[in-house]
Amino acid sequence: MSTTTLPDTSDRQAADSQWAVETHGLTKRFGANIAVNGVELLVPRGCAFGYLGPNGAGKTTLIRVLLGLTHADAGTMSLLGYPVPKRRDAALARVGAIVDEPRFHGHLSGRQNLQILAAAREPAARDRIGPSLERVGLAHRANDKVSKYSMGMRQRLGVAACLLGDPQLLILDEPMNGLDPAGMYEMRDMILSLVAEGRTVVLSSHLLDEVERTCDAVAIVDKGNIIRQGPISELLAGASLGLQVECSEPDRARVLLDGTNIGARIEVGSEGLGLTLAEGTPRDVIAEINRVLVEGGISVYRLQQVQASLESWFLQVTSRLGAPQ
Amino acid sequence: MIATRFMELRKRRGLMIALVLVNIGLPTIFLAVRLVAHAVAPKSYGPAGGYDIFTNLVAGVMYVFGFIVAATLGCAAGSVDLTEGMFRHLVVTGRSRLAIYLARIPAGLAIVVPLVAVGFTIVCTVCVAAAPTKLNYQGVTLPAGLSRSGFLAWAGDHPVEVLCDLPGPVPANLPCPGPNGGGVPSGTPGEPSPAVLKSLAIQNAARIYPGYAATFLSPSNSLMIYSGLWIELEAVIGFIVGLGLGSLMGQRTVPVVLMIVLELILTPIFSTAVIAHLINFQRGVVGLAMAHLEPGGLPLAFGGDNRGTGISHLVPESTAIAVVVILAWLVGWTALGAWRMMTRDT
Repeated sequence: MSTTTLPDTSDRQAADSQWAVETHGLTKRFGANIAVNGVELLVPRGCAFGYLGPNGAGKTTLIRVLLGLTHADAGTMSLLGYPVPKRRDAALARVGAIVDEPRFHGHLSGRQNLQILAAAREPAARDRIGPSLERVGLAHRANDKVSKYSMGMRQRLGVAACLLGDPQLLILDEPMNGLDPAGMYEMRDMILSLVAEGRTVVLSSHLLDEVERTCDAVAIVDKGNIIRQGPISELLAGASLGLQVECSEPDRARVLLDGTNIGARIEVGSEGLGLTLAEGTPRDVIAEINRVLVEGGISVYRLQQVQASLESWFLQVTSRLGAPQ
Repeated sequence: MIATRFMELRKRRGLMIALVLVNIGLPTIFLAVRLVAHAVAPKSYGPAGGYDIFTNLVAGVMYVFGFIVAATLGCAAGSVDLTEGMFRHLVVTGRSRLAIYLARIPAGLAIVVPLVAVGFTIVCTVCVAAAPTKLNYQGVTLPAGLSRSGFLAWAGDHPVEVLCDLPGPVPANLPCPGPNGGGVPSGTPGEPSPAVLKSLAIQNAARIYPGYAATFLSPSNSLMIYSGLWIELEAVIGFIVGLGLGSLMGQRTVPVVLMIVLELILTPIFSTAVIAHLINFQRGVVGLAMAHLEPGGLPLAFGGDNRGTGISHLVPESTAIAVVVILAWLVGWTALGAWRMMTRDT
């Protein structure tokens, strides 16, 4: 006879939650400084989620609050559907995280450090030490002292530590730090493979190009507030529109376009005109620009829409662009 | 988890060398030098073992330095997770911070207690095996290590030495040789018969046996057991307090310095100098409480040598209060360290 133990109600509710990370009004203050200001963050399960922000924006503080490394002053949060801090232990048993630079006991080997961390988790974690080291490419150096590891190797060891708990959610704070280009490629590959296994990866990084290549969705944080979040494709679709126009007489073309009401910022460059149209500008405006130029006697050789990059969009929406100097 | 915490501490080579050196190395080297010196020149150098060597090593070296190295290990155990960045990794596993802290206690004690035991066993072994075979007691050479019945039997066999040379009344008309003699020549009329002399010697031996036993050359089993437990307790206190203080301060160096100051400076002062306004504070010093629990046959820690005088210079404190103080230190510092690790932002 076999029996089946049903998970308790809260476990089932947690499993049903569609959000890997959910915060509402989350606030953390350091004296008068508000590091995390009423953050509303929703990270869907099973995706790679980028968490972006300038230095000092409160990225690491939010991660520390989520992981129980520091307490929140206000707001609610849950990880994998488990309310935190009430069910923090249950939530973190299914979470792997690197916060800041990964540091370990330098006098111990990588394997011994993982043994310590595995001992703090469920018994099965001990069996995952070898596979984790294999997966991050550290198996051949596993018995070397960590004090002899490079920064990149410690990053890999940090990821291996994350994998000990067979996590459903990984929170990686700047995991590309210290990695050479090949290492970054491998890390990106690993993150994508983790997502392909159904895990959720939250990637905090300042390497916008890496985030754009790795993540499905992002949140932009600035001065403790989340100012945008959503799928990258949707966010960039709403970004300002770039237009490159190769034509004869670019200076006269600029004068002609300045006389219209299309509302574009126009610059004359070596390749012709560069136009930046405001967010939400209808595509018909592009045809209107072409008509104005042709009717003005300008020969238009090429008219190309330039897709905004995550980097340019990031700079637009954060205080880094247009902020008073 | 305890096993991995034990492994983490055991792999700290410098710390382990210091622990082994102080707890085992120092007494071993000291005893080895005395063994060699006595073997080479027995008239110039006394036996390597014996009661005096035992008591001085236990109360003078193992007690104080055992505390300091145990405290050093405790401070390291309480702070290295923080300073070396492992605490975050451990917290993120979901294991409770209290469990993470408490796992350090058995792990550290599993190092400290056996080391102290090994060092102490070496001291006991040498002090018993290499103890003198004769005892010079008040100018008389006596066999060492006799039980009460053995001592009385020996007295019956040596009545003249017992009655003439050892403390006690000298019977009238007893021809004692040497400077302690009664000055009566042998063959004096009225000289006590051998049976009377034997009886008087046994009576005198029974009277002086406590004094003889107090200066026994080979430490008794009970003294060794009690002394071993006493220095183990001191080492445990050193580790627990160091662990709590290291966790509380989040670093190792300053807590180690504070522990050394406590043991070498504050405790001797507060244990012997009666300061009227601070008397209750003084009674709360764990070193004073430990001194009150010291085995009777040892020279008083921090209170001067009271052997033979029966006078203690320690600030007075009942045994019950001493036990309460020790328990309070153990529980209090554990609670403080655990509280700090549970509430610490990291």
